Amino acid sequence: MKTMNKRNLILNIVVIAALIGFIIWAEESRSFGAYNQRIFKTCCIYAICALSMNMVNGFTGLFSLGQPGFMAIGAYVTAFLTVSAQDKISIYKIVPISEGMANLHLPFFAALILGGIIAAVFAFLIGFPVLRLRGDYLAIATLGFSEIIRIFITNAQGITNGPTGINRIPNTYMNLYVVCGILALIMIFILAMMKTSYGRALLAIREDEVAAEAMGINLFKHKMLAFVLSGFFAGIGGGLLASLVGAIGPDQFKFTVAYEILLMVVLGGQGSVSGCVAGAFVVRIALEKLRFLDEPIDFGFIQYKGIGGMRMVVFSVLLMLVIILWRKGIFGSKEFSWDRFFGFFAKFKKSPKKEVIE
Amino acid sequence: MAALLETRDVTIRFGGLVAVNLLNISVDKGDIVAIIGPNGAGKTTAFNLITGVYKPTEGDILLNGEKINGKRPDEIAKMGIARTFQNIRLFKELTVLENVLIATHLNVKTGLFSAVLKLPHARKEEKEMRKFAEFLLEETGLLQFKDEIASNLPYGLQRRLEIARALATKPRLLLLDEPAAGMNPKESEDLTEFIREIRDKFGLTVLLIEHHMQLVMDISDKIYVLEYGRTIAKGVPAEIQANPAVIKAYLGEEDDKDA
Ligand SMILES: Nc1ncnc2c1ncn2[C@@H]1O[C@H](COP(=O)(O)OP(=O)(O)OP(=O)(O)O)[C@@H](O)[C@H]1O
Ligand SMILES: [Mg+2]
Repeated sequence: MKTMNKRNLILNIVVIAALIGFIIWAEESRSFGAYNQRIFKTCCIYAICALSMNMVNGFTGLFSLGQPGFMAIGAYVTAFLTVSAQDKISIYKIVPISEGMANLHLPFFAALILGGIIAAVFAFLIGFPVLRLRGDYLAIATLGFSEIIRIFITNAQGITNGPTGINRIPNTYMNLYVVCGILALIMIFILAMMKTSYGRALLAIREDEVAAEAMGINLFKHKMLAFVLSGFFAGIGGGLLASLVGAIGPDQFKFTVAYEILLMVVLGGQGSVSGCVAGAFVVRIALEKLRFLDEPIDFGFIQYKGIGGMRMVVFSVLLMLVIILWRKGIFGSKEFSWDRFFGFFAKFKKSPKKEVIE
Repeated sequence: MAALLETRDVTIRFGGLVAVNLLNISVDKGDIVAIIGPNGAGKTTAFNLITGVYKPTEGDILLNGEKINGKRPDEIAKMGIARTFQNIRLFKELTVLENVLIATHLNVKTGLFSAVLKLPHARKEEKEMRKFAEFLLEETGLLQFKDEIASNLPYGLQRRLEIARALATKPRLLLLDEPAAGMNPKESEDLTEFIREIRDKFGLTVLLIEHHMQLVMDISDKIYVLEYGRTIAKGVPAEIQANPAVIKAYLGEEDDKDA
């Protein structure tokens, strides 16, 4: 047992060191390339959003699809506060921005955190009515919330610049160190939290609400805790996304984003931090690799014209297949562990032997 | 002296069905009191009323003279009433130890952020919670299974775990809903002993629902008999055994089954 723990510790150190090494290489070396860097960053940002959804759906056993709304709030707050006053004045063409508003400005990290906090405040406010709902009703209500936010953004031209959106968002800090660092911080926070009594209380609610309440767990308070944290993380994810992309508009926060994140969480394993991160990477990279489906392909004998949105069709079919066939995802609800990793391979080796013994 | 638990004309209707009708029970501190009655008599519903799962249509429920009807289940748990469930409701995918730890959460003083940051007082509290949970597992004979997933335990041990979990809330009053269900005579005899033991050790008062007559007659200081939501008899075991209405409604039916 002791030697096993030591082995796991060493493996952890080796893998973390390798990851850090990889990140430094990817950031500094030219051979990784700007395109791959961008995919890597997008993966990290979506991992944050997947962790946000997992907080509520995976750990607490609720079914919320409010991520696009919270992401939009974080994205717009960060964008609004980091774009310079002159740029804002020149961007807001249809409904000009007032000078006072244009001058509102914060450094990137302050704006990002404020975006998270405002998203969390929204989560708190809508939590009162919606967290009393169960199951599918909660999903519908949160999806509705996301759409309301998007429609508000489309129409509040004076603040959000309406359908045109905001561009020239600075990306000064959007290097791999910052993006991976924020993802790592959030992962560490969640992993630590799930080891506390509060984390266990959330799991208890997931396992059996009636029993959890009978054991003295205030359901509403703990669901609210998960929901507010989830809103905060999605707000941070949205803020990072805005800064990475450089330009945002209401269309980027359609409800389909919630399905994309749902696929990451379900594929990776609801209730598993490592699973969600893995799911986010797999889905984002797959979406990137499936891009060819939207474009014309010449097979020589057949000309595929390329259908816009074909990627999303394939993607939706994948989502359905995963949900039907493989609900537990890559990691189930458990965290990645070396014991399970080696156990997985040991299964192949040992199974014939076992048959002989029996 | 006022009773620890008292219900006053507690009634609940589900549509046209009066599941519990004018229930008046009184449980003195330190006693073991049983509720018996045929299937569908309203026994579990009475537990659900006492623990706040249902609100009574009429009547009051008092704990130590304080009205508790209208309070939420978690508030009632904090006031000192813990329960087990007729259909076992463990946190199935979690370990035995986690199941018990979760039930200590209601007494947690550390805030979320001190807990996440593992500040010294948070560490200390977590350690104490674990010690208490392990102590309860020891007492209930489950310590060797502490890292086992709850749903992997055999049925009898799952019932024990439910009791250990209920004890973790530090209750004054423990409600047991058919704790001997599915047990053979030897096991239910052990359970009788076990219930007495925890009553004495933890200074508990126990209210239990049970179909095993031997256990009920052995253990109870007082018995209430329910039929169709009404209380048709109450008294000490000897009185209940001699009560013709009870024999007809319940014990008689048992005899039919056995025959
Ligand atoms: N939530 C509910 N809605 C409607 N009817 C209910 C509800 N809960 C219980 N009942 C009804 O109330 C009656 C009493 O049920 P209860 O579960 O209390 O019986 P019980 O005495 O515990 O029986 P058993 O020995 O089978 O456990 C039953 O007829 C049941 O169908
Ligand atoms: Mg019952």
